[in-house]
Amino acid sequence: MRALLWRALRREPGQLVRICLWSLVEAAPAFLIGLAVARAIEDGFAAARVDVGLAWLAALGLAWVLAAVAARQIVLAVAAIAEPFRDDLLTHVVGGAVRRAAATPGAAQDSAAVTRVGLQVELARDAFAAVVTTVRGFAFTVVSVVLGLLTLAPGAALLVLPPFAAGLVLFLASLPLLTRRQREFLLADERLAEEMTAMAGGLRDIVACGAEERQGARMATHVEAQASAARALARATAVRTAALGVGGWLPVVLVLAGTPWLLSGGAGAGVVVGALAYVTQSLAPALGGLVQGLGVSGIQLAASLDRITAAAQPPPLRPTRLRPASAEVRLREVTFAYGPHSAPVVDGLSLHVPEGEHLAVVGPSGAGKSTLASLISGLLRPDAGEVLVGGVPADRAEPAARVLIPQEAYVFRGTLRENLAYLSTPPDHDPDHDPDHDPDHDPDHDPDHDPGDGDSDGAGPGAAELDAAVRALGAADLVAAVGGYDARLDPGALSAGQRQLVALVRAYLSPARLIILDEATCHLDPAAEALVEHAFAARGGTLVVVAHRITSARRAGRVLLMDGGRVQAGTHDELVHTSSLYADLVGHWQPEPVS
Amino acid sequence: MLAGDRLVTQAVRRNGPWTALLVATAVGGAAAELALPYVAGRTVDAFVAADPAAVRWLTGCAAIVACVMLCESLGVWAAGASGACAAARLRLGVLRHVLGAGPAVTRRFPEGEIVTRAGLNTEEVGRAPESVTGALALLVPTVGALVALTLIAPVLTLTLFAGIVLILLVLNTFLRSTTTIAGGYQEAQGELAAGLVEALDGARTIAAAGTAEREARRVLRPLPRLRRHGLLLWRANATAGVRAGLVVPLVEVAVLAVGGFMLAAGDLTVGELYAAARYAVLGAALSGALGFVGGLARARSAAGRVAEVLAVARPRHGTRSLPPGTGTVEFRDVTGADLRVPELVVPGGSVTAVVGRSGSGKSLLAAFAARLADPDSGTVLLDGVPLPELSHDELRRAVGYAFERPVLVGDTIADVIALGRAAPDDAELDAVTRAARADGFVERLPRGYATPTAGAPLSGGERQRLGLARAFAQGERLLVLDDATSSLDTVTEREVGRALTAANGGRTRLVVAHRLATAAGADQVVWLEDGVVRGLGQHRELWRDPAYRAVFQGERP
Repeated sequence: MRALLWRALRREPGQLVRICLWSLVEAAPAFLIGLAVARAIEDGFAAARVDVGLAWLAALGLAWVLAAVAARQIVLAVAAIAEPFRDDLLTHVVGGAVRRAAATPGAAQDSAAVTRVGLQVELARDAFAAVVTTVRGFAFTVVSVVLGLLTLAPGAALLVLPPFAAGLVLFLASLPLLTRRQREFLLADERLAEEMTAMAGGLRDIVACGAEERQGARMATHVEAQASAARALARATAVRTAALGVGGWLPVVLVLAGTPWLLSGGAGAGVVVGALAYVTQSLAPALGGLVQGLGVSGIQLAASLDRITAAAQPPPLRPTRLRPASAEVRLREVTFAYGPHSAPVVDGLSLHVPEGEHLAVVGPSGAGKSTLASLISGLLRPDAGEVLVGGVPADRAEPAARVLIPQEAYVFRGTLRENLAYLSTPPDHDPDHDPDHDPDHDPDHDPDHDPGDGDSDGAGPGAAELDAAVRALGAADLVAAVGGYDARLDPGALSAGQRQLVALVRAYLSPARLIILDEATCHLDPAAEALVEHAFAARGGTLVVVAHRITSARRAGRVLLMDGGRVQAGTHDELVHTSSLYADLVGHWQPEPVS
Repeated sequence: MLAGDRLVTQAVRRNGPWTALLVATAVGGAAAELALPYVAGRTVDAFVAADPAAVRWLTGCAAIVACVMLCESLGVWAAGASGACAAARLRLGVLRHVLGAGPAVTRRFPEGEIVTRAGLNTEEVGRAPESVTGALALLVPTVGALVALTLIAPVLTLTLFAGIVLILLVLNTFLRSTTTIAGGYQEAQGELAAGLVEALDGARTIAAAGTAEREARRVLRPLPRLRRHGLLLWRANATAGVRAGLVVPLVEVAVLAVGGFMLAAGDLTVGELYAAARYAVLGAALSGALGFVGGLARARSAAGRVAEVLAVARPRHGTRSLPPGTGTVEFRDVTGADLRVPELVVPGGSVTAVVGRSGSGKSLLAAFAARLADPDSGTVLLDGVPLPELSHDELRRAVGYAFERPVLVGDTIADVIALGRAAPDDAELDAVTRAARADGFVERLPRGYATPTAGAPLSGGERQRLGLARAFAQGERLLVLDDATSSLDTVTEREVGRALTAANGGRTRLVVAHRLATAAGADQVVWLEDGVVRGLGQHRELWRDPAYRAVFQGERP
């Protein structure tokens, strides 16, 4: 993460030079203010030479105007560094999140957490810009003031700089304490937020258990812990403010106390006023800016980067992929459990699905049907035994060899054609692919007007092929409803059934010979579901359907019944007679004879 | 007065010593800062005139500076501490209210919204005392500076105002007012976030298709647009910065120039000119002081949102306890939402199944029976006592509730199971865990009952069994099982049922179920359709009705 920071700072040396040059201009009033005020009074107004006084003031005014222009240029130059920094962070966060999600597809995806990290990126960008701006401003101002004081009256510099340096040292010394307190507060605040989220999520259960009082007491301790961290932070901030006071206010008193000495050294009253102007107009605000920049933005930046780093871990290595020889599926003594301490969901399962078979998987929820689908499609690896697709371990089979359509259909914002061609275009293998793909290589390229985006052009399905698939699955109405193949889809505006239909047409168009539908038709009505299943059965290849409705089982050549590690396979008619659970599921209930 | 404003007033008033300290430091600091330029100017003048009073003036300066520093530090401390205390007090009140009102709050506000209102918004209300005194601390010196400037020379005040007007006029001519383009930025940001959420929801598809890199790039597509809008925003900010950064220094230069003329004419001393320049700077900050009022406005609107949560009614509990009984549940003329149950008796000790298609009102019936929700009218009685007349503890001791998707509240597995009981002993814990058939996997966990909940990945079926154990430990007379065994395999489900019957056989069970076998095994079946009881009786009798059979056929496997 430190590397990201350095990279951001060093990537644009031109902008750094621009910042330094404009900073010189911006710091001009800091150099001029005391000098101009002192000279305007001493040589001008007090000496009854109004024109000289006005000339000095005009110079000061001009310096302010130039400084304002310079400040604007500096903001733009800092932005030119901060914006690519934000892009880097976002690329990092998004890439990490998508890769991690794809690596652990079984785990629940906490998209809210990812959104929170997105917020951290914005905070980090602002904090980064603020730190660069204030630290730079402080350095240039201090140098200007020192030069100005030395020019005006070296004696005044002796009165101003030691207490200022003392204040700065005190502030820097208080910084570790402040950082620690800030961090502790953020942690306590986060823990409280987590507790409140847990309480809101478990409210129904807490009330049903009558545990409101105890939960209230528990919340009280967390609320108190957060408040006490906030009070500790307030105390540390008070210490920091005192340090700031030493650096900003003590020089005022010392300059006033040293006035007789300055006057005896030949300086006029104007010089004293000028020295005061340096302290109150330049030095104190610059110190305040530094306190804000390091004490607030710097800590924010560190905290945000911490969280972004924690959220984005390096992607897992992918094994080389193998091409299966056929679309037959073979499971040998497969056992799988979700945790080292959990009971196995699939326990010693052996199963052979020859190429071309249509298998339906049924069973109560939690029986392991989706787990089986994940094992066959290679998303999960068995703890024991092996899952082979065409003789190749399922988790190493080429993605193009099989298609898994889960219950939650993935439809992305893009054209309908892009969405339908998703599985017909070769996945990640473009030669110039770079995981840290840096979009600013080509800043003028606006992908919003380029639906192809370089990824999905090439060998997409032809129009005739598209039409045939859409007709076969009964999706013609959907195509018409969204406005044709080149209409942009808003996934949120589609119904769950429409999204499933898009995913199903996509699977139908793919070259894969093994299709796994994991409750992929649950949002379609029964007639549409039947049409889809018939179409896939007629498409050829192997078809595994995790059934949502029991009617799916009647259409399959063979049925696999799963129930807590017990598995039975057979045709529909066989199972009705041999399994009471299956009979139960299909609604066959015979009153047992009273003995 | 609005409920929100009442909260703000309370936050200010109940903060006791903190508010007083805030006011004292704000006013004291402002007064000191106001006095300093005048006293400093007199010090310089006195030294120049070799007036022996100079030392007195200097001592005054030192005292004033000490006062400013003290007030600043104390003020920062008081602001932080006062905000923390006020927010904590309000927050705890909100959380206790939410706990008291229960699921009624969740029905009204999404969970994230509750957290925002109890968290961020109470924090904002807590800052109300600081906002009030902060505005004071800014207004006092600005107004005071204008008065002081006028006392030194009214011409300088006129210069100040004329200067501000003139400078703004000139700046407005040269700087086009930039319409902010925040909208475009937020849009690109939103699109990126939405794309990411879509991709995460589609994780299984992406994993199976091996397209993670492609999807990451697709999600990042709005990035160039984001940067373009981002730079436009920076540009607008930079331009606004020019405007803000120029007014004060230029006004100061103007005041110095006019003052310089007066100095040359002998109408001002050098010290007075210094003081005038400082007062001009302080006075020109008036526009900034007005911005502080915004803090109070934020506190008020935040208080309005907090007050909405506090406005959700809390159910009242009576003081009665239960007479001896077996757990008979009666519904009398109950209506609520889309459910109407004129009369229904669940006999004590029986197993009653509630069946019906989804949306027929099964869960609401169960919630009424356990008083997780109150009907709009009518009464639900347990052993002859209307539920609202029972004391809170008596009600919860008598009724246990198991959910289809229980939320496991508690740090350890033992805490989770004991949520409904203050402190069950180990034997009790073992008994309920065994009855829920959760003993097997709890034993396999690394630290058994002491395993932290956060570190134990549990399947849906395991969570359900912990939820069942939790309910068993609690409901002494009535157990409501709302689809609470749906993720158990059939054998385990049957075992749990048998264990319940064998253990303390007396408990009444109200079981919402989808499975045929559950209905067939129940003493009585309540068949709901569209919010009314369509049939009541034994499964074998109801089975003759094709419409009843249809409830179980063609549904889910």
